[in-house]
Amino acid sequence: MKRDDGLEPNLEDLTTTKNIRLEDLVDRDSLKEVITSFVNLFGISVRLFSSEGDLLADAVEQQEVCKVINEYPDGRAACTATISTVKHTVPDPTQDTVHPCFSGARYHIAAITYDGRYVGRIVLGPYLPAEVKELPGSLLTTVREAPPSRLQQLLPQMPRARVETVRNIAEHMRGILDLILFSGHKALLTSQMHLASVRESYRELQDKNQRLQDAYDKLKELDRLKSNFIATISHELRTPLTSIIGYSEMMSEGIAGSLTDEQLEFVNTIRDKGEQLLTLIMSLLDLSKLESGSLALVKSDVDIRKSLDDVVSLLKPNATKAGVQLHVDVPAALPTIRGDANRIRQAVLNLAENAIKFTPSGGQVSLSAKLAQQVLDDAEDDIGFALIAPTRSVIEIRVADTGIGIPENEREKIFTPFYQVDSSSTREYGGTGLGLSIVQRLIHAHDGKISVEPNHPKGSVFILKIPVDLDA
Amino acid sequence: MQLDFVSRELTIKLVYYGPALSGKTTNLQAIHGFSDEQTRGRLMTLETRDDRTLFFDLLPLRFRGEGDLSVRLKLFTVPGQVIHASTRRLVLQGTDGVAFIADSQLSETQNNARAFLDLKENLRFHGREMRELPLVIQYNKRDLPQTRSRDEIVQLAQKGREPVFTAIATQGVGVLDTFVALLHLTWLSLDAAHDLSGKFRFNSEALLQEVITRMGARGTIDQFLNARLGGQFEARRKESGQ
Repeated sequence: MKRDDGLEPNLEDLTTTKNIRLEDLVDRDSLKEVITSFVNLFGISVRLFSSEGDLLADAVEQQEVCKVINEYPDGRAACTATISTVKHTVPDPTQDTVHPCFSGARYHIAAITYDGRYVGRIVLGPYLPAEVKELPGSLLTTVREAPPSRLQQLLPQMPRARVETVRNIAEHMRGILDLILFSGHKALLTSQMHLASVRESYRELQDKNQRLQDAYDKLKELDRLKSNFIATISHELRTPLTSIIGYSEMMSEGIAGSLTDEQLEFVNTIRDKGEQLLTLIMSLLDLSKLESGSLALVKSDVDIRKSLDDVVSLLKPNATKAGVQLHVDVPAALPTIRGDANRIRQAVLNLAENAIKFTPSGGQVSLSAKLAQQVLDDAEDDIGFALIAPTRSVIEIRVADTGIGIPENEREKIFTPFYQVDSSSTREYGGTGLGLSIVQRLIHAHDGKISVEPNHPKGSVFILKIPVDLDA
Repeated sequence: MQLDFVSRELTIKLVYYGPALSGKTTNLQAIHGFSDEQTRGRLMTLETRDDRTLFFDLLPLRFRGEGDLSVRLKLFTVPGQVIHASTRRLVLQGTDGVAFIADSQLSETQNNARAFLDLKENLRFHGREMRELPLVIQYNKRDLPQTRSRDEIVQLAQKGREPVFTAIATQGVGVLDTFVALLHLTWLSLDAAHDLSGKFRFNSEALLQEVITRMGARGTIDQFLNARLGGQFEARRKESGQ
């Protein structure tokens, strides 16, 4: 499971102080503010260099005496040499370096360390040590041309401090820098760890997603195989079954000689059960075709009024036999819909058949259709839904009965293949448990919707909504 | 382990692992408290507002070492809470040794076991096996009521092969024993793998003695190692040497 694509962050690289650079951890502007406050406090100039010798920040008070020295070529050369030496002196981390200037002043050079490693240096100065009382000879010999009285007047203006005091200032500044470095390092680590953790969590999620996707692909493939299997088997079962039904029909018609009453009864039973089996097989075939998407709709302009009338005339004998009243209510002017007339009739027929089956004698079943507006509930945003919800024109077909009804918690499940509300009802009412799932798939194939509601005072209403402008 | 040939510097990484609130950070705080100024760096704690470790704690320690090699130790803790699984995995990466800090309270027995299995799983993620990792176990919080008895721990420890210590980290008790033993085991394992003592004339006894001294403690290395309730050091040495 270990990854070798180099994306995995390495904590060793994050926590090592080997590559820590002063300039990466501190903000130069803030650094300048800090050292300026030191200069304001002690009057001694401060320069801060990285371990490579780059100037990171400075707060320098130009000394009058230095200005005068720089007016003379010899003085300027000596001053430049001193400053260059000071700039390039790398101090011992355990002991500060004090570098003298020919003017009698001093520079204090202190190492900055972090986690025991040298990361840069502080240069304090120039300052005049307390013990320098007179103009030093080195100053007079370096700038011979300068009037000594002027130097005498200006040198004492340089900030005076004892070497010990300057060392304490350096120590104090080092302490503050250390704290800044630590905070900077900590912030850097925290943010990097944060990133690393997020990346790691993301990787974990991706792993999981991949596994889920694999499982999903496998299931889909299995599902396809199952549908194929059912289609093939159904087809193979149908062929011999047709012969069984055909021959038993011929026998019952006496083509092979007359039968006794008992023989006739047996043969009729064989034929009835054979037909029942054929219906089941046909349903299975339908379902598998619908599931695999291989059912082709033969589209034409469908007149719903005609479809419902067909259903009623087909079921009238059944209804009469069951003592159930069958009504149909369709307004005269109903637009046609673009769809497969046979399949829509099959769907309504199935629902109406069910309705009659589950309605006791004396009850009624009514079929109705009307033009309606359907609000699509798949709008992207629910803000302003009342204003922007998309709607479409649909033909709403309702099949209502006064039968036994469907409990609320069962209403979603009844469209599942082979599901029956009460398994004992199979024995009482017959049926394969495939009808509703086929109806649902047929309606979905028409981009429609099917739902079920309770009828008042009892029974159920199945509602089909099929869009009018299917091709628009 | 990182070996810098230019500066002759060896960096060893040790991780304090264990269930939430078992005292991993407290162990590091105690070690930080014991160490002298030259040895210790700042204890860096990346924590949440409620003082729970968010990412890790890091305590850097520096030792002069012996021979041609100076030694830096990086002591890490992992966040114990279950939700920080990915962070634990990151922190564990490339560790040279692990101190498992268990909570002695009876109520925590399950959490200890769970954290240990989590350690095992995360090691495996990095392609490593528990048996080849230098490991010491510490039963912390011995001062609390309702804890596993010492006899019970001794019995358990003698069955296992990794050294087991008891501790009260809040008082610093047992912290150094655990640390010294872990360092000892880790050294044996690193030396077996990289022949450090051969290449750098490094004397690990001297390092351990330096550690003990710089932590302001007294006593011989053996005194510290013998504070264990069970487990073996020699067995580890032989195995590592294979």
